[in-house]
Amino acid sequence: MATTIRTTDLDFDNIKSRLKTFFQSKSEFADYDFEASGLSNILDVLAYNTHINGLIANFALNESFLNTAQLRSSVVSHAEILGYVPRSKTASKAVVKLSLSNSAVDRPSRITLPSNWTFTTEIDDQSYTFQTREAYVAVDDGTGTYNFLTSSGSDEIILTEGIEKTKTFLVGDTGDQQVYVIPDITIDTTTLIVKVYEATTSSDFVTYSNINTAIRINPDSRHYSIKEVPNGYYEIIFGDGSTLGQAPVSGNKVEITYLSSNGADANAGDTFTSNNFLTVGASDYPISVTTVAESSGGSDKEGIESIRSNAPSLFASQQRMVTAEDYKAQILSKYSEYLIDAVSWGGEENVPPIYGRAYVSLRFVENTTEETKQVVKNDIVNNLSKNLSVMGIDTVFADPINTYLELITTFNFDPDQTNITPRTAENDVLGVIRDYFVVNLARYGTVFRRSNILTEIDRLTPAILNSRMDVRLQQRFTPVVNEIRNYKISFPVPLQLPNKETYTLTSSKFTFNGIRCTFRNKLNSSVIQIIDVLGNLIASNIGSYDAETGVVDIIGTNIENFEGDNIKISVVPFNQSTVRPLRNYLLTYDPTRSTARAIIDRQRVSTAVTL
Amino acid sequence: MVTKAFSLEDGNLSRKTLLGTKTREYKDIDLTFTNKPSGDIYKKNEAAAVKQAVKNLLLTNTTEKPFEPYYGGDLNAFLFSLSEDFDVEDIRDYIFTAISNYEPRAAVIDVQALIVPDRHDVKVTVVFQVVNTSEVVSIDITLARLR
Repeated sequence: MATTIRTTDLDFDNIKSRLKTFFQSKSEFADYDFEASGLSNILDVLAYNTHINGLIANFALNESFLNTAQLRSSVVSHAEILGYVPRSKTASKAVVKLSLSNSAVDRPSRITLPSNWTFTTEIDDQSYTFQTREAYVAVDDGTGTYNFLTSSGSDEIILTEGIEKTKTFLVGDTGDQQVYVIPDITIDTTTLIVKVYEATTSSDFVTYSNINTAIRINPDSRHYSIKEVPNGYYEIIFGDGSTLGQAPVSGNKVEITYLSSNGADANAGDTFTSNNFLTVGASDYPISVTTVAESSGGSDKEGIESIRSNAPSLFASQQRMVTAEDYKAQILSKYSEYLIDAVSWGGEENVPPIYGRAYVSLRFVENTTEETKQVVKNDIVNNLSKNLSVMGIDTVFADPINTYLELITTFNFDPDQTNITPRTAENDVLGVIRDYFVVNLARYGTVFRRSNILTEIDRLTPAILNSRMDVRLQQRFTPVVNEIRNYKISFPVPLQLPNKETYTLTSSKFTFNGIRCTFRNKLNSSVIQIIDVLGNLIASNIGSYDAETGVVDIIGTNIENFEGDNIKISVVPFNQSTVRPLRNYLLTYDPTRSTARAIIDRQRVSTAVTL
Repeated sequence: MVTKAFSLEDGNLSRKTLLGTKTREYKDIDLTFTNKPSGDIYKKNEAAAVKQAVKNLLLTNTTEKPFEPYYGGDLNAFLFSLSEDFDVEDIRDYIFTAISNYEPRAAVIDVQALIVPDRHDVKVTVVFQVVNTSEVVSIDITLARLR
């Protein structure tokens, strides 16, 4: 007999059922299980109240942890505790060359383009404003052409998208503990400039910098910290005026300027026009703009999942770059608008090992220009590694290496269970495989698991009865034609051991000694041979593969020509069920060498009547 | 009173009235929450409990009960309809459907409705029998707009 009412359930019906169970043990009332009864109405109220309280408690508890919080404000708040400031909107940047022609006789030898000089570009019929962030100087080249240069002498000038906004605050008494609110969700916090004037009428100011860039903090430091608050706005906070650095004092004026940005919408602008003429002497001259790199790098506010993933990593790295995860965390937290993913490993883990190096591989977002990639890499070295990493460790960048997967899929298909044709089903299966790679294998270190993808294929339609998949890995290399060369191709996983039934290694076609050939390993051996298209042996030993290390060595081979852009070496991995790439290897789907084939398998059983 | 005779196989109930065949008592809380001198509240028993339930059901609007969107007689909704949009048959249908779906203790015998458009009134009389008893109960419900 129930003597207590269990209320751990969240579901309304379950709670009400518990209440009814309680009433069953009591004799006072009997009508609790008739929906129209008064008692049932009261049970509704009690159950609903318990249900709502339970849900609220559940939601509140979910929001209490970084791992389970659903509201952005909660995730941001948890990240703040870990010292992580989520990325704001980020302004898109373009690289241009700026010049001006002035053939006047009395032209000056040098002219200056002021900072915040605005330009316009159009993307999808929408106009966006870009601007310079510093002043540039140009010198007459003798013909009246002035090419504007940066302070380091480069003619590549960065334009930043956005409209400059200014917020001015008057500092109150210390007891007020002022927090300076910027009610703008479009702010790019990386463009923030904080100036503190002695008084409202002063023209002299001191500049405060973001505390995240601080190498050390002492009582003389001038830093501010910025944080996102629950409504999406931002707040600026200064030090305490003593141990945590200087702070503005009563009577000061704080002037905050920043760019209000359109984020990712302003990417891919490639034609820029100056909004104004530049006045030189008494005349106005147009500024000609040559685009070096279209606008890129603009992004929206950092998403909840990104914050959830990056905040603990950055906290663990403690603003220093010692372990591989530190490198990844610091780089992703600072440059996530440019990057899909980053990975790092020590030189001792490299193949071959090179000590005293930290290797970093960056996967950039689509359409990032080479110029932008180089800017990001230089920035990582100059602003992160030099300040935060261990002395004597050089940061070296390694490009991502694509390891292609050739997936040969066959599946039993019962046409009686669906309206779609086998050919459509084959295309659908290829679509599932393509989507699986996009969703699951876009990042470093992600593992291909054959059973997972087969499960998705089986789930596609009841007409797919079962499926199987043969997996081959493929690396590509571009040979130097008509030269005797050695080639070393590395696979990120061990390869299938030689056996007498199947070839572990095959390749795409190339020309050798005037004959169209392919590479293939000798059966039951790791020796690599050259075979013509009819299967005749052309060269009996031109190298070998090491199944354990996944390294293929091709020795002293003169390749005269090859099909396509490169030669594709395909191998059977030791473990086809799980492919776990190392370091900077990325698993990529090769649709040109992958197939899906339906095998008709009717489940309909003909019945016979036996008399 | 008519006496029903039952066979021994049916439980030897020949000496009992039909009312006596119902073994379960209906005991519900009185929704007026009137208290006894002892401080306890009154109960509704037997036919009175069913009557209260039917009235309660008919005056509940659909979607009013949590997680039971179709529960209710929805009679109040008629007050906010144009008088041309419904007729007595509609009201009867609503009442029959609601009671047959949600009040198994009542078997509707008759429903009479009177629509008085000029006074914005709907008068409804529901006559039903308490199932497994011979008791016939009548409920009068008058719906009128306050303003």
